[in-house]
Amino acid sequence: MNEEQLIASAKNGDRKALAELVKNYGQTVYSFAFKVCRDREKAENMMQETFYSMIKSLHQFDGNSKLSTWLYRIVVNHCLMEARKSSRYTFVEQETDDSLFDEKYIADWSTLPIKNLETKELRNILDSAIDKLQPEYRVVFTLRDVEEYSTEETAKMLELSVPAVKSRLHRARAFLRNEITKAFQE
Amino acid sequence: MNEEKVSCKDVMSHICESLSEEMDSPKCVAIKDHLENCEGCKSYFTSVEMTIDLYKKCTETFPDDVHKKLMAFLELNDEK
Ligand SMILES: [Zn+2]
Repeated sequence: MNEEQLIASAKNGDRKALAELVKNYGQTVYSFAFKVCRDREKAENMMQETFYSMIKSLHQFDGNSKLSTWLYRIVVNHCLMEARKSSRYTFVEQETDDSLFDEKYIADWSTLPIKNLETKELRNILDSAIDKLQPEYRVVFTLRDVEEYSTEETAKMLELSVPAVKSRLHRARAFLRNEITKAFQE
Repeated sequence: MNEEKVSCKDVMSHICESLSEEMDSPKCVAIKDHLENCEGCKSYFTSVEMTIDLYKKCTETFPDDVHKKLMAFLELNDEK
């Protein structure tokens, strides 16, 4: 069965088809939830909530968007709701555009010893940079740059305006990049 | 030549979409010109691309037991 047939069968109560859909998207939803939640246990919970919502509202899925897009929208909402419970992220908001796009950060990365770094060390640097980024920004960065949705699609999924998505994307990119640069300069 | 003047800061904080109308706007044309001639901005964009690449590689593995727990949670564990 292709995806369309699976969805149609699942809507008609075929639990095998439903199980198949969940299996096909488990990895995608889990790794996205992890990118946003930054915690295995939370990512697991968000994934469970997402598929639970999917099963409950699959009958509303009209096929006008891809199932993956629809699932992203659900998982984003769950992750952001969860993130709002703890408001320990303030880093990006506190930075002004002037400090984020400071020309002092135009370091030449070809001279940074990135290639010589152990993958693990680099991963740690990146992890701590991303941990400081607010979930609202992480979501934009992940959808737009990692999952490669267009600005318009990202805006629709997040119910944000296009300029708001652009602004968050820029700030997220600049922030991450600056954090990594700083880690190397220390 | 282009009349529009852009600074490195403009280049860093502006996104030109691949949508034709935006790509052809005077601002984006000026940004493309600037990018072609400015080593600083070129390296900025390279570093942003590298940041994105690094992040893309940070995928979490999806352990089998997590999948099993998911199916049990959804009461789908008997299907299959
Ligand atoms: Zn420049």
